[in-house]
Order: sequence, then C-alpha cells, then structure tokens
Amino acid sequence: MYEFSELGWIKHVVFHPVEGFEDLRWKKKGSLKYAFIIVGLLFVAMVVSARLRGFQYTKGNQEIFNVVPLIVQSVVYFATWVIGNWSICTLLDGEGTMKRVCINSAYALVPYIVGTYIGVFLSNFMTLDESVWINTVEYIGLGWSVVLMIQGMKAVHQYSFSKTLLSIVLTLVAMLIILFLAVLLISLFQQVYAFFYQIYTEITYRIRG
Amino acid sequence: MNKLKKTLSIVLAVGSALTLTSLSAFADEPYVSYNYDAWYDAIPSQSGYRVDQVVSGSGMDLMKLSTAGDELFLADNASASISNAKDMFYEPELDEFWIADSGNNRILRLDKDLKLVGAYNKLSDSEVPSFNDPSGLYVTVSDGKPVVYIADTANSRAVRAIAESATVMKSDQEFVKPESELYKSKTFNPTKILADSGGNVYAVESSVQQGAVQFDPNGVFTGFYGANRVEVTAAVIAQQIWRTFASNEQLASMERNVNVEFANFDVDNEGFIYTVTEAANASQDAVKKLNPAGYNIWNTNAGNSYKFGDLVEFTTAEVDPHFAIRLTDLVVSDNMNINVLDYESGRIFQYDQENNLLFVFGSKNSTSDQKGTFIAPNAVESRGDKIYVIDGKKNDITVFVETQFGQMVHKAAGLYADGRYEEAKGPWEEVLSRDGGYWLAYMGLGKAELNAGNYKEAMDYFEYAEADVSYDNAYQYYREEVIAKYFTPAIIVLAVIIIAIIVLRILFKKGILGKKAKTKGGK
Repeated sequence: MYEFSELGWIKHVVFHPVEGFEDLRWKKKGSLKYAFIIVGLLFVAMVVSARLRGFQYTKGNQEIFNVVPLIVQSVVYFATWVIGNWSICTLLDGEGTMKRVCINSAYALVPYIVGTYIGVFLSNFMTLDESVWINTVEYIGLGWSVVLMIQGMKAVHQYSFSKTLLSIVLTLVAMLIILFLAVLLISLFQQVYAFFYQIYTEITYRIRG
Repeated sequence: MNKLKKTLSIVLAVGSALTLTSLSAFADEPYVSYNYDAWYDAIPSQSGYRVDQVVSGSGMDLMKLSTAGDELFLADNASASISNAKDMFYEPELDEFWIADSGNNRILRLDKDLKLVGAYNKLSDSEVPSFNDPSGLYVTVSDGKPVVYIADTANSRAVRAIAESATVMKSDQEFVKPESELYKSKTFNPTKILADSGGNVYAVESSVQQGAVQFDPNGVFTGFYGANRVEVTAAVIAQQIWRTFASNEQLASMERNVNVEFANFDVDNEGFIYTVTEAANASQDAVKKLNPAGYNIWNTNAGNSYKFGDLVEFTTAEVDPHFAIRLTDLVVSDNMNINVLDYESGRIFQYDQENNLLFVFGSKNSTSDQKGTFIAPNAVESRGDKIYVIDGKKNDITVFVETQFGQMVHKAAGLYADGRYEEAKGPWEEVLSRDGGYWLAYMGLGKAELNAGNYKEAMDYFEYAEADVSYDNAYQYYREEVIAKYFTPAIIVLAVIIIAIIVLRILFKKGILGKKAKTKGGK
C-alpha cells in the first residue's frame, strides 16, 4: 500500500485527517524522534510568536521576556497530555501505548505550528487592518490541529467518536490533577530543602561557636 | 613621605567637599521629576517647573487689614495670615487673584504680584453678618466691576456679588436650597462654584451625587449637571446580586452604591467645564471634560483610556501600600494644559488636551518647610507660565515657574497640539537632547517625519514611542512606497523566471538540454 519516508508519513497524516492515522497504525510507522522534534518546534513557535511579530502586532512589555512560561505551555503541557491520555485510556480499554499516543499527538500539532509560523511571518508585512488574514491562517491551523488530535486519539485507541471526546475531556481533567500534584510536590520539596538548609546553617553557627 | 600623604589627603578632602557643594547646588527641587513610559513605569525626567517663591500672609501685606487708617482696614483683630484657604481663582481680565480665606471667613483680592488690593468679610446689603467658611469662588468681570460668585458654605447659600470698591461688596443674587422635588438632599452647603458664559451657576454640594446643582442667572434651580457614573467593580456586582435576595431590614443596613460627587471644576476659555473627583477609586471619571449637555468628551466607553494622577495600580501600590490618591483641584492654563492637583501626594500633574502627561512637580512633606512641599494643598491656579498652589495648613501660596526644559516642552507641545508637526520638530529635538526618555517627543518627531513623507524615520520614532497604531499608519505608507518602487523590476524578474522555466522544460522534453542539466546537477 503506502510506502513513505518518515517525513512523508507526517505529510500523509496531516493531509488525510480521516484515514491518515489509521494507515499510520496499520503500518506501525511514525517515529518518536520526529515527535520530539515537532514538540521542540512548538516551543520555538511560541517564542517566535512572542518575539518576532511585526511591531504593530507586538503587545505587552518587550523589555521583560520570560521563557519559562513558554516551556511550560509547550513541553510540559504536551508531556502531561500524553501521560494523562495514556493513563485514562488504559483504564478505558484503549489500545494505544504511550509511544503511539506521543507520536500521534505530536503529528497532530503540525498544522498549528505551521499556522503560527506563517502568521508571524505575515505579521511583518501586514498592517493592523489586514490582521484578519493572520487570524484566519492561525485559526485554520488551530482548528485543523484539533480535528487531527481527535482523529489521532480515535485511531490510536480504536475508539468510537463519542468515546474519543469523552476520553479527551477526562484527559484534560487528568492533566489538571497531574499539574496540581506537581505544584504541590515542588512546593513540598522546597520546604524540605529549606528545612535542611536551616539545620545546616544552625549547625555551622554552633560549630563556629 | 608622611608630609606628602598629609597634603595629599587635605587636597583630596577639599576637592571632594567642593564637588559635594556644587552637587547640592544643582539639586534644588525637593521632589523627583518623573514621567510614565508606555508600560506605566515611572521613569526619571527633567523638572518642568521650579519653585519661584513662597508667599505667606506678610508677603501679601495682610497686616494692612488690621492697620487703623489704612484704606483696606477690616477690623482691629483681623488676622495677618490666611487660614485654611480652600479656594483660589485667577481672573485674567483684572489680572488679579481672589482667595477664599475660609478660616478667617473673608475673601481676599490680590494683584498679580500677590499683594493685597481688596478684602471683604460680608455683603454690605445683606442681613447675614459675615461670610461663614466660604470655600469656593469664581470671578468674572462685567462693566469693569468684578462679579464674584461665592460658595458661602456654612451660611447655606451661594451668592453672586458685585465688588463696588476694595472693601464693599454688594449682593446681586442669592442661590439657596432649591424648593424642588428633584432636589432630595436635606442640606445645601455648596463647596465650589462656577459660572458659564451665559451666567448659569453650577455649585458642588457634597451630599448631592447627581452632579453639580445648576441655577439659571435669576437663581432658579434648573437641574443637575455632569454626574459621575457608578464604577462597576466586582464588589458592586456582588452587592447588586445580594440586594435581590435581601429582606427590607437587611437592605436598610446595606451600603448603597452611589456615584461619587466631584470635588471641583474649572472652565477653559472655550467654555468647556472640567471636573475632578476626589474618591480614591474613581479611576474612570477622575477628570472629565464636559460638553454643554454634561457628557464627558473624554469618553472611556469609546475605547480610549484616560489616566490621571499617579498610576497606582501599576507601580506605587507595590512600593508603598499606604499610598493614596485624592485629586482635589484642577486648572486649565492659557495654553490649554490641564493641571491636576493631588492632595495626598502634593503633586501637580500637567497634561495636554490629549491626556499626555507633560510634567509632575510638587511634593508633600508634613515636617519640613521646604519650598515646593505642601501639607494641605487645597487649590491650584495658573497665570501665564506660572502655577500657584495655595496651602491650607502652611497658609501660604507657592509659585512655580517654568524651567528652560519646561518652556521647550510647552513650545513643542503647543505646536504639536495645533498639528504643526514640522515646526515642532526643532523644539522636540532640543527636548530630546535634554531628556532622551521624553515619550511625547518621539511621538512628535514621528508625526513630523510622517507628514514630511519620511516613513522609515517615522516608523523608527514610533517604535521608540511604543505607539503601535501610529507605527501601523507609517508602515502602510512605507509599504506602498516600497511596492511602487520595486513593482516593475519585480514583475520583470518574475516574468523572466517563469519564461526561463517554461523554456527549460520544453528543452528538457526535447532532450536538447538533458545532458547538460545532468552534469550541472552532478556538480
């Protein structure tokens, strides 16, 4: 049937939202390496979108730029999505392994990333009156990615459409729980660290007499 | 060796002492001048005003009031100082200052050098023995005689009076509590007063929230003017929801959300009335410019934002949790700049008509008597390039005068406001050479370049000014220019490329170029 290179498979999946992921599953194709590259490109797209838009589209204080929120919004959200989806769907008789979930989710993000890059590029040549073009491109990219994501999750777990939607909602809930626990854990460890650091300073004072 | 060290140290000490004195000689203003950048951060700027002089009662010759035999003699025990003066008004035609000397229950009349030329403690033809806490005043001239509008607060009246001589003032019309169903307040103690060119009188009454109480020239109540809106905050919405459930008893004990009455007003020489509101959270109606119908011309609903005073929510609240704001008076100067006085910080904020902050000056200081600091700044007035602030506790008048930098900015801003951008270019460049962070200068230079057709330069200036809409304008023209310039060459190049591709394809198909292309690819 289909024989593609890895990049060819990405192209095939993106342009065939209905059966692309099924083909991918049957052929057992898709590479984790490219999935990670795509997530990396997502992060870069976010940075580019925040920094390289035309001046008339630049909002907020450009003197202060913090990259940490963008890392969280791209890499961390993606990781929690994959983990959350895998955990939920394992309970809900999903067939996908974590690797397949990761690959399918990453491939589904491609239109959004491309849309962002095109939007940023266009913003350097367009006036504010023409912003509707940029918005159109970016919204099409986003919408397409959402469709692909639903199809991807449907194919990887072999769900019906309604069950896919349910699993996605549950995944979002799982993401919230994971992030909440992560924040809790981080603050706990901070306190533990502070505790031991206090003991350390106390002891050093005593030793010095 | 030791001797050498000694002399060296002496020389160094003297040197450093000299530099110190010269430094302190420059730092003459007791306040820090600043301006806000596009992100509402306060950044240091040059002073636009410096203290010229501080005039107290003796400087105004107030001892004349108690000197028997003097033509201005008022009473033997007349105070030679002003006391808790609540209002001051400058009348340009007479070139005189009028002061509501509230604590001494009298009205003072000073010439342009703040020397006493008249004093009044009562109306000669009225049964009321004396003014009582006159808090507001407004003066016009008719037939060469001053027509004085006085908010005689504790006497529950406002009057229009004619000053016959330096000590005699005759009542012309009294404005008392309206006998109207519309007027719901139980009291009428006007605190500020204003008259428009048609003789209509507007009085601020602190218990009336519907706006200023308006009278026609004959003393007939005609309605309210220019009410503030209720500011919609989360607390107001929550209370509105609770109100729908609450019982009558609960309702009675609940706080009502009413609009805040404004504190003071002024009228510019085009007849527009400006109001200022004291309440700390009145961010949306802090300063208004009203048209004759009472609607705010600076309409925040139209999407523009008008900010006055210190931008607390952005910076100061974090630095100083006790920081408060209380805009108490404003004055529109001859060049149409709006000076807003903040009672809490003692600062005067000067804006142009487009709400661009020009200068911040003045300061509050409760312990020292430094010139340029206030304890209770009650009113601000302007005359020419000078700004006058009257203090109700220090009981003096501080006179501020433009610095060279201030002059330059005013000149440039005036030309800029008139739309004469290219004439303003020179002054703006001078401003920038003194203060490279002056936001409005970049804006002005950008518009000058835009008008001159130098779109690229305009874009650079607008980028400095963080003005995205103006930048967008300039960019649109710039893009058109670039496209027009390169359109023909670009089309020719494109056509050549397309023709070349077609020709090459045909040649490939016919096998003429095949071999050559392959070797080319091999390279």
